[in-house]
Amino acid sequence: MNINIHNTHILHKFQYYAPVTVAEATKLLAKHGDNAAVLAGGTDLIVRMKDGALRPKHIINLKKIDGLKCLEEKPEGIQIGALTKIRDIERSLLIQKKFSVLHEAAKAIGSVQIRNLATVGGNICRASPCSDCSVALLALDAVAHTMSSSGERKIPLESFFAGPGKTVLEKDEILLDVLIPKKAENLKGYWFRVARASMDIATISLAVSAKVKDGVVEDCRLAWGTCGPTPMRTKDVEAFLKGKKLNERVIEDAAKLASKSIKPREVGRSRGPYKRKVAYNYLVEALTKLSKSEDD
Amino acid sequence: MKITININGEPRKFDVEPNKLLLNLIRDEMDLTGTKYGCGIGECGACTILMDGEAVLACMILAIDADGRTVETVEGLAKRDELHPIQQAYLDEGAVQCGFCTPGFIMATKALLKEHPNPSEDEIRGYLNGNICRCTGYVNIIKAVQSAASKMK
Amino acid sequence: MSDVNSYVVIGRDTQRKDGVSKVTGAERFSSDLSIPHMLHIRVLRSDYPHAKVKKIDVSKAEKMGAKILTPEEVPDVRFCPRLVSTPEATYKDWRVLTKKPTYVGEAIAAVAAESEEEAQIALESIEVEYEPLPAYFDAIDAHKPDSTQVHDEVILKETHLKVERNIACQLEIKEGDVEAGFRESDFIIERTYRTNRRYHTQLETKAVLVRPEIDGGVTIWSTAQSIHNSRLLLHEIFGLPMGKIRVMKVPLGGSFGSSIQVNTITPIAVAMALKTRRPVKISMTREEDIRDHCSYSMIFKLKLGAKKDGTLVAGHFDVHLDIGAHQIQAYPLLGCMAGWWVSLYKLKAKSYIGRAIYTNKTPSCAFRGYGNPQVSWLVETLMDEFAGEIGIDPLDFKLKNYIGKGDLFWGQGPTVKSIIQSCGVEEILKRGSEKIDWYNRPKAGSQKGRYRRGVGMARGYHTSSAGGPIPGTVVDFSGAFLKLNEDGTLDYITALMDHGGGTLEAHAKIIAEELCAPLENINIIMADTSTTVYDVCTHASRGIYSGGGAALKVAKQVKQKLRTFAARMLDADADALSFRVDPIRGQGVIYAEGVVGREVTFKEIAYNARHKNWGTVAAVDSYRQPACPPHFTGYFVEVEVDTWTGKVRPLKVIAGADIGTVINPKLAAGQIHGGFAQGWGMATIEDLPYDLSTGDLANKGMLTDYKIPYAKDLPYLEDFEVFFVETYEPTGPFGAKGIGEGALNPVAGAVANAIQNAIGIRFYELPLTKERILEALIEKGEI
Repeated sequence: MNINIHNTHILHKFQYYAPVTVAEATKLLAKHGDNAAVLAGGTDLIVRMKDGALRPKHIINLKKIDGLKCLEEKPEGIQIGALTKIRDIERSLLIQKKFSVLHEAAKAIGSVQIRNLATVGGNICRASPCSDCSVALLALDAVAHTMSSSGERKIPLESFFAGPGKTVLEKDEILLDVLIPKKAENLKGYWFRVARASMDIATISLAVSAKVKDGVVEDCRLAWGTCGPTPMRTKDVEAFLKGKKLNERVIEDAAKLASKSIKPREVGRSRGPYKRKVAYNYLVEALTKLSKSEDD
Repeated sequence: MKITININGEPRKFDVEPNKLLLNLIRDEMDLTGTKYGCGIGECGACTILMDGEAVLACMILAIDADGRTVETVEGLAKRDELHPIQQAYLDEGAVQCGFCTPGFIMATKALLKEHPNPSEDEIRGYLNGNICRCTGYVNIIKAVQSAASKMK
Repeated sequence: MSDVNSYVVIGRDTQRKDGVSKVTGAERFSSDLSIPHMLHIRVLRSDYPHAKVKKIDVSKAEKMGAKILTPEEVPDVRFCPRLVSTPEATYKDWRVLTKKPTYVGEAIAAVAAESEEEAQIALESIEVEYEPLPAYFDAIDAHKPDSTQVHDEVILKETHLKVERNIACQLEIKEGDVEAGFRESDFIIERTYRTNRRYHTQLETKAVLVRPEIDGGVTIWSTAQSIHNSRLLLHEIFGLPMGKIRVMKVPLGGSFGSSIQVNTITPIAVAMALKTRRPVKISMTREEDIRDHCSYSMIFKLKLGAKKDGTLVAGHFDVHLDIGAHQIQAYPLLGCMAGWWVSLYKLKAKSYIGRAIYTNKTPSCAFRGYGNPQVSWLVETLMDEFAGEIGIDPLDFKLKNYIGKGDLFWGQGPTVKSIIQSCGVEEILKRGSEKIDWYNRPKAGSQKGRYRRGVGMARGYHTSSAGGPIPGTVVDFSGAFLKLNEDGTLDYITALMDHGGGTLEAHAKIIAEELCAPLENINIIMADTSTTVYDVCTHASRGIYSGGGAALKVAKQVKQKLRTFAARMLDADADALSFRVDPIRGQGVIYAEGVVGREVTFKEIAYNARHKNWGTVAAVDSYRQPACPPHFTGYFVEVEVDTWTGKVRPLKVIAGADIGTVINPKLAAGQIHGGFAQGWGMATIEDLPYDLSTGDLANKGMLTDYKIPYAKDLPYLEDFEVFFVETYEPTGPFGAKGIGEGALNPVAGAVANAIQNAIGIRFYELPLTKERILEALIEKGEI
């Protein structure tokens, strides 16, 4: 431990680059590898630098690259550029109407000031288990679109996270945008989150996205935040629910399964037993609402 | 690196290192100490300024990222002898105690009222939820915002 | 009862004199100041909770051109940074820089360079060799017979006292026959409680600037609640003559008790300034500040005995105070805790034993209420529980036993007893209970369903200052200086700090009211130790009661001189003259009643006095209060518990306060709002747990993991009602008392009682986090 490297007044010295194309950025990343970090909104990177936890020798500012900031409806679905501010996602009527879980997730992040700086790309690529955008996007079957020196990739978000703070991005790979597929539009969404205070990272969060017909679950996605080493889905519970008619017994069994399926740390401030109980309660609520939702 | 920032209506030129934070540029280079350091990590809102009209945190922004942008700090609000209605409202409602959080709140309030000229209490609390006040319990602050909103209509 | 309507300025909301400065960003706090050519200092802090520093290698830092300060280069003295108590109650175990750090973050050395960046690089180049020692994070553990001593000795006056079992100090008090009292009781209750450790989260992190002067002295701008005690301590440590140490008054960005003691950075900065002969500045980062101080935490046990009819008979209070690694004001706190306890409710017989225990954690210091929030939480929840056992409503139980008008009151401890002369407790409790429909509140634990609502109440008080009829071990007096300028305005100069609550505004009003001068004519001057007489400190809710009392005293003396000069000018009998304020001329006026035109303004008096060489109309004097009368508060709180997550939210607050005459209505209400917010945080979310593997705070000094309430966490405006019960305190200036701490003290108790009402479960540990509540609900089989 070395507490003397913490200094939230200032930043250490670094080499600074402001590439104007993605190609330029990937070249820089390839060159400097582990000694480089990308700067988007700064709300995470700058904090970690001040904490002394991260002292990259090279900082690559992505904000001068055109075309990474967009929120567009495309035939395939909604394309959200990686540099789109969280605040713009929050303000988007399109997202509020069609993908309410993403709207709720965006609203829950930090404060207005933070949301005016933070980007959706930053929130996802940080791969924090509590990343609200990731949780919502997981429930919406979002696909990450990336670019590196080897070319472009389309990675479903459920395969994007490798571990706490780690993604599957290569050293020189940059997230360009995420696409929420058109089929996610007609799903019902429910968002749950609890924290210590009203501006806080989530103690536990849940995004549910589902389609119900005649009381039967046609399809559903359950994404959880701060319930494991990465934002995660409980696919076993999704599989259990698929094709079932929602009644009290089914709901209870699904919730019990979910509470066992999530992987929170068993010790620590907000321990396993707490999260498992809340997970159970949240899912019961979501599925109960879902079972009544066809009347809306 | 040479940058130009429009500060409170005036274009100013600076030559900064990449690691210079906007907060420190404002406080040290421009001697505008109204914008405060409260935590350095975005939790308290004491460094709230407006950049191109949006409320942001100066402690998390590199000075070079403010190049070509418009920055407003609390010092730019009053016109000579006349306080801005938001400033006057904060005084009239007893919303100022130690005053350390006040500049940050006032700037956030300015952005709030531009976006929501007639805000509900929920909207006020939500918008100002990034600013900590340890003295007032927020009550008189919210009253001040409501009062400013009605005067600024 | 005072008639506020008959006052000109007292009781009116006015624009505070420092207001324009604060809303325009012009107000300069310590960290906003700079001196040309100054060096920036960074402090080298211990990575270990307990260790011996074997070697400090500063060679790399020196090569960079940085200036270094090591423990060998500072005066080899041990001191106590808080000089509010007399020497017989002041335990000294601090050093300016230490070679045996006893908590993570303790200052070992310091580095100064031309910029903070350079200082930081130099700091990181310093290599320290530590020999770790056993460390303790729990008072009970530290107290065990075979535990390693955090300190081997502590100094009291000139005596070196050996420390055993990590007991920093202890106190026992007995009054009456407690055992007999328990024997005659029909009901007895005994519970053990544990409090949390809280961080003040004052928005301004501490800073200090020191400029060395050519005469070998220093000028200091620092974050401080007492400029005179700062000067006194630096004189004690550095031996500089007092006249050569000038401590300037600087606006304070909130404090809540964290700067009663001279900050740890101040002597370091002075030492560096004296060594380098250059101005220096230290500005603490938030993470340094979080490791620097926190509230006192306790493990305490209370036993109460009562008769069937609800009369309390006897009580025994047993306290283990966890004070962290150093003493700041532990010994006085032991006395105060006994005082806080016995001043709430009448007890024929009481016994108390308190021990302050060293642990290897951040040193504790006073936090708004100074033990009273913790004690009030304990007593108000125990009384609530006890009432249930006896079969009496808790409100009635409290009304039956409370200490009020005419009763003997211990206040800050057994040495400052006085009789209560003003008390609004009955009205606070009756009005509050009506507004919240107390007697129709839900039956505890009867609620079902996911969201459960409950109502709870607690009452409290705090002393207004620590004054009393006889001197004890607490220094408490104030002083002021008032003078008339040639334009009829007056300069008011006091050493007393305003934390922001508006106390100096109140002083200006007191002076204006007494002299019949327009409020705008009273100038509050920022002063320093050279230009003020002693004021002990702004703490203990003494700003208005004591500081305002001093303002009133000098105002009366100035009034007498004005009267004399006016008599000369008007050729009238001094005692036959009257004062009035003339808003049109903007002056105070002295006139002969009934004789039209026979009058003179203050400005005319001042002019005349100068031309006629009569002298300046001025007064400087000290003021010692005869008592420390309690100001009273009562909180009625409705909460809602989400049994699915354990999360609680405050729905409604009704708060009543008796602060004597209300001088600044909106600011006084602001104290209640702020007190509730702090109490809510204390009750539900604030805590400073330690990472036992590193000995550091689990939150690593990051505010991200020290949560306090934000605007959305608190009730809507229409659901928060504050009312004042105006009494008249005969010993207070215009009948006023304090409010600062009474506003916080009962809140945690009210919240805890409300939660108990909502879910039928009582807790004996703070904070009542959602995890704790959910666990208890599961255990009880509720969900």
